[in-house]
Amino acid sequence: MTQRISKYQRFKMMNPIIQFFKFIYLSLKIMIVVASGHGGTRVEKK
Amino acid sequence: MSKILILGAGISGHVAASHLRRKLSKEHEVVVVSPNSNYQWIPSNIWVGIGRMKSKEILFPLAPLYKKKGIGYKQAKAISFFPEGDKNESKPYVLSEYVTGDKKGQQEKITYDYLINATGPKLNFEATEGLIPGENKTYSVCTYGHADHAWQGLKALISEMKTGKKVKILIGTGHSSSTCQGAAFEYILNVEQELRRHKVREMAEIIWISNEHKLGDFGMDGMLLSYGSMTLKSYEMVEMIFEDRGIKWILGAGVNKIEDGIAHYENLEGAYKTETYDFAMLIPAFSGHDFKAFDKNEDDITEKLFKGFMIVDADYSPKPYEEWSVKDWPETYQNPTYQNIFAPGIAFAPPHAISKPRKSKNGTVISPAPPRTGMPSGITAKLVADNIIDTIKSGKESLSHKGSLGNMGAACIASAGYGFTQGSGVSITTYPIVPDYEKYPNTQGRKLGKTFGEIGLAGHWLKLALHYAFIYKAKMRPFWWLIPE
Repeated sequence: MTQRISKYQRFKMMNPIIQFFKFIYLSLKIMIVVASGHGGTRVEKK
Repeated sequence: MSKILILGAGISGHVAASHLRRKLSKEHEVVVVSPNSNYQWIPSNIWVGIGRMKSKEILFPLAPLYKKKGIGYKQAKAISFFPEGDKNESKPYVLSEYVTGDKKGQQEKITYDYLINATGPKLNFEATEGLIPGENKTYSVCTYGHADHAWQGLKALISEMKTGKKVKILIGTGHSSSTCQGAAFEYILNVEQELRRHKVREMAEIIWISNEHKLGDFGMDGMLLSYGSMTLKSYEMVEMIFEDRGIKWILGAGVNKIEDGIAHYENLEGAYKTETYDFAMLIPAFSGHDFKAFDKNEDDITEKLFKGFMIVDADYSPKPYEEWSVKDWPETYQNPTYQNIFAPGIAFAPPHAISKPRKSKNGTVISPAPPRTGMPSGITAKLVADNIIDTIKSGKESLSHKGSLGNMGAACIASAGYGFTQGSGVSITTYPIVPDYEKYPNTQGRKLGKTFGEIGLAGHWLKLALHYAFIYKAKMRPFWWLIPE
């Protein structure tokens, strides 16, 4: 097993307080990516 | 009055049925035909497969919900399509066979004005000799029943490990053209975490086996993504996770035969190899359902409707990889011959793969098929339903709702371990799903910023939140339609 993720990175990944804010941030960001609309590719949008 | 027939009650079929019922008045009939009695939230099968969720937590029976909401429901399987009717029936219909109850085995011509084929894929275990869920120490997590079996197998293995037995676990794809690497990726990380939780991790060698030529391909040709303040390639991210978890990998492997505890595979170099194991979870190939179609004179017209999966408004003309375009991908999921037939979700035939096709030196195609997960299945089903609703309400064909996978984002929240404080998830979004090399030529066909990855506890919470939100939505509880697909 090779440690590729540092102890500090792991602390940030698993700290519930940091991750709570990350949860809010990710929820909004994912919502923007997937719910911000979709369309065709063959005709340019007017 | 119009009658809309929906084949299948998975994510795609159920989304279409619920939106049609909500937006159309009761004079219009919505009928669902599915051989399954339950709706299942497939993304949570992973947690059933590690024993952290019961299968009853990810499913609910369809019949009571459909009765309450005024959606017709027949527990039957489609057999053949008659889009022009026949000599005795003037309306188009689907010949279906009941699979349970008093009518079991009885066939019925179910007529329609509009047909939504949302039958999803056939899990083609037969394509790999010996790959049978629950036999030869191989398992699957493709259905809740399979996931239950997988947990029984894993639980027994953990018990053996606690007595000092060293084991080898093989997880990945079970065929040279399998897709759904994401599900296997989630399962391998969850299994690894569960072994640590049971304090037997050091007793297991865990191996990823896949038809991808590089880690992180996921059947989407990999991706360039934002990760914190860096820009990473997806293979670098997956490699980092696997190395950190002590997971080994075998790539470019087309598994072609399974014996008890032995997986036979061919690699891209053309070498025939074997890998032994004590427990394996291998995703099978997906295929169409081998439906037949007939015209009014009962002549076979299957090639007008099916190309494995259903033919829709895609460009299927064969061309070399270099000439593939994002514009080849369908936008409305309408069959070009019969314009009252649609195939959203996984039921449509993709025009080509997304990952560059690769062959072994022996000529065997070893390359992932394009993945089509829950999120695009829901989005495409809703746009098909909206086009049908507009057409019925306006009295003329309307196809204003479009959604090509080349102009649509998707999120893959991959569980990397279960637990409210100890869990983890790999959150990846990609925009667009099918790379658009004309719009984004310098970033591997995708938009940086909208294509990003994150690892951590928040990912687990997100997947858990999606589990509860989408089951709430599927149960059509108050204001369910406010939750996006």
